[in-house]
Amino acid sequence: MTLLAFTFLLALLPAESASSRYPPKAAISSPVFGPQQVYGLLNGSVTVKCFYPPTRVNRHDRKYWCRQSATSCMTVVSSSGYTAPGYQGRASIIDSPQAENFQISMSELTMADAGTYQCGIGVNGRGLSYKVSLEVSEGPHVPEGAELFYVKLHSTLTVTCSFGEAYASKRKFLCKMVKSGCHNIIDSYGNVDKYYTGRALLSNEDTPGSFSIMITQMDWEDSGLYLCGAGVYGESGETKELDVHVYEEANVPQGKPTIFGVKGSSVTFECHYGALKTSTVRYWCKWRQQGCARIIDSSGYVSNLYEGRVAMYDNPDNKTMTIILNQLKDSDKGYYWCMAEDKKEQQSSTELKIIDGEPGLKGKKEVEVQVGSRVDLTCSYPCKYYSYQKYWCKWSSTSCTPMPASDQRQPGPDVTCDTDNKTVILSFASVAKTDEGWYWCGVKHNGIFGETMAVYLWVTEGSGASHNLELLGVDPPSRAEPPSRAEGGFIPQGRAYSDAGVQSPADSESSGESHGPNTLVLSLSCVGAVLLILVTAFAVFKYRQLKRSDLVSVGSYRTNISMSDFESVKEYSASNNACMKESQETQIGGDEFVTTTATPESAAETKKAKRSSKEDADLAYSAFLLTSSSIAQGGCSGDSAAPAASPSSEEGRI
Amino acid sequence: AGFKVFFLDPGIAYPVLAGYPWDSQDKEYVLVNNKCQCVTVTSKFVPSKENPNEEILERNIRILVPLKARENISDPMSPLRTTFVYRMTELCRKCDPVEIELGGEIYQAQQSTSCNEPETCYTYNRDKCYTTTFPFLHHGQVKDVKAVLTPASCYAE
Repeated sequence: MTLLAFTFLLALLPAESASSRYPPKAAISSPVFGPQQVYGLLNGSVTVKCFYPPTRVNRHDRKYWCRQSATSCMTVVSSSGYTAPGYQGRASIIDSPQAENFQISMSELTMADAGTYQCGIGVNGRGLSYKVSLEVSEGPHVPEGAELFYVKLHSTLTVTCSFGEAYASKRKFLCKMVKSGCHNIIDSYGNVDKYYTGRALLSNEDTPGSFSIMITQMDWEDSGLYLCGAGVYGESGETKELDVHVYEEANVPQGKPTIFGVKGSSVTFECHYGALKTSTVRYWCKWRQQGCARIIDSSGYVSNLYEGRVAMYDNPDNKTMTIILNQLKDSDKGYYWCMAEDKKEQQSSTELKIIDGEPGLKGKKEVEVQVGSRVDLTCSYPCKYYSYQKYWCKWSSTSCTPMPASDQRQPGPDVTCDTDNKTVILSFASVAKTDEGWYWCGVKHNGIFGETMAVYLWVTEGSGASHNLELLGVDPPSRAEPPSRAEGGFIPQGRAYSDAGVQSPADSESSGESHGPNTLVLSLSCVGAVLLILVTAFAVFKYRQLKRSDLVSVGSYRTNISMSDFESVKEYSASNNACMKESQETQIGGDEFVTTTATPESAAETKKAKRSSKEDADLAYSAFLLTSSSIAQGGCSGDSAAPAASPSSEEGRI
Repeated sequence: AGFKVFFLDPGIAYPVLAGYPWDSQDKEYVLVNNKCQCVTVTSKFVPSKENPNEEILERNIRILVPLKARENISDPMSPLRTTFVYRMTELCRKCDPVEIELGGEIYQAQQSTSCNEPETCYTYNRDKCYTTTFPFLHHGQVKDVKAVLTPASCYAE
């Protein structure tokens, strides 16, 4: 039943929600990434670095470097110990699973070495590879290849480019290569492409002529060639090529890209930082066209505009930094970045959108008392926070220090949420001047910070509400009161009337209530209008969905099954078989991917069966019993029906 | 001779196409990536043959049939599979729970019904470890011993 409700609710969600977004084809193409073009000198050497997602199977699987020919890809060197004759001592492969890459080095290059190669994982020609083109020239100058960046989906790309002192004062830019040239993304003059608003930041480094660019929330479409440069593309200056590839890794905690905050209430941002144990200053800032305006940082600085509104909590165990921003206004919407001064740390960004609604925690937002008197700050919470931890804390620019407060929850088995007294009270027996300041009432659940509400406590000397009239009428700017709050509107409205009698909270409560009947009518008509809009929106959306559904496109399937597919799919791997009579390691079974008209194939093929026949079961059985060397001999001479013994038995990987 | 359907409503294009307009690459999107039966379905807009000014939605279905597979991929002694059945409704099912936000709370929601039916796989998923047991004769005793069918996927972390 709840499932039905959820699917029903899903239908009502706006189109941009994750459920209706489809990943582009790049998402299922090969996640192995390497340089497109490598240049080498005659008799020189060249190193090729290929990246792969560090999943458990990828880390242990065979890595290979093979030379592509018309029919197949012949292994030159592989991580299971094979080196083709002709390349002995010239080619080597080193796998670095922690660094998510493997490196191939080829030395003593000859002109015959130029051509197309593939670096890959698993079985040759199954698609989990990347095509690398090697050019050998006589020299003396060899062009520099592009710099490779392998970025996790939704994480941040950080690029540093330096061009020397001569370019220190020139325009710096980053642009993406498209068919018609290079499309500008961000430059040092403050121009930002609108699709990168809030996501991209350019900042100058200390050394003159060098700068760094950060792009957060990297998506599939961000893969491709980029140019970072100084000057103007196509006209003057220098550029450096960057090749960026986005890959997906499952089960990685990432911050949410968009957070919705209710006006008047609070939001909690979570920033995950990397495993680097640097004790760098971390800060939180709001994205602007010219840079990022710092709001709060871990050294205790809080921007004046945000006094009493923002707090930062560090949780080194989870490697998470939590930032709470309350008293939300419409102007708070935008992009917020979690940054660290050390650029090597993980930076991330989140978009904040403000929606209208009712805050969960309610209470007086400003309380004014005289020195020495007794005061209670109350905070009432709704049923949804019934089981959460509640707290009161005193806000300061370094942190919000918890204060002992009493939860008015009544003990006993008969008490349910509706009947219970849902308030938390912070009491002061005798208020002192030092107690003046911001206090926060908040909820916490499973160690995660939830909603908060801020209250300002005014402590006045001596007597006379009339004195306070002038004082409070000339509101100091650090109070940060949003005038649009509904329930907190008593006191500010009271003050606007400059009426001495309206100063005390009790009086302004009554004035608030006199507006009661009018607000009731207003709210009823609003609700009616909203319902009408919702119904029409639902009808429109359902109609559009109907048009989009599978039923309509029944006639337009085009299948791509060809006879060659049936012949060529054989599960045996190209093995580094020491017993093979031929001098080259050849592919058994067709190479579907290596054809003259090859187009990038999906990696789906490689993720499936490698072995599923009786011969393999036999081999697994015999491998268990005997050592690897004796299997090799036995497999070669005796078993002609199994052409390529699986690599596991050959190389002793039992 | 099927009929072609024209998707003229730009509203449909909006939620599906999320690339940058200035990036004129042909945008092809993945609808199905089923590793169990080894099928991928992608779709893109192509100009219609009848009227080049209009675009129609073309779906590319790619099926790789593992001809040497066994009926039960976890049992190498089972007979060779000779029947492969592919159903679009089964392939298009989205059974992975998706996180959605409602009223400030995150919920996990499943997008399709009938997700409880077991799926017969025709081929191995590279991220899973497949094992089988076989009778092993040792010192005159026959024991059932576990053997690995996909070694690369079966390493501990």
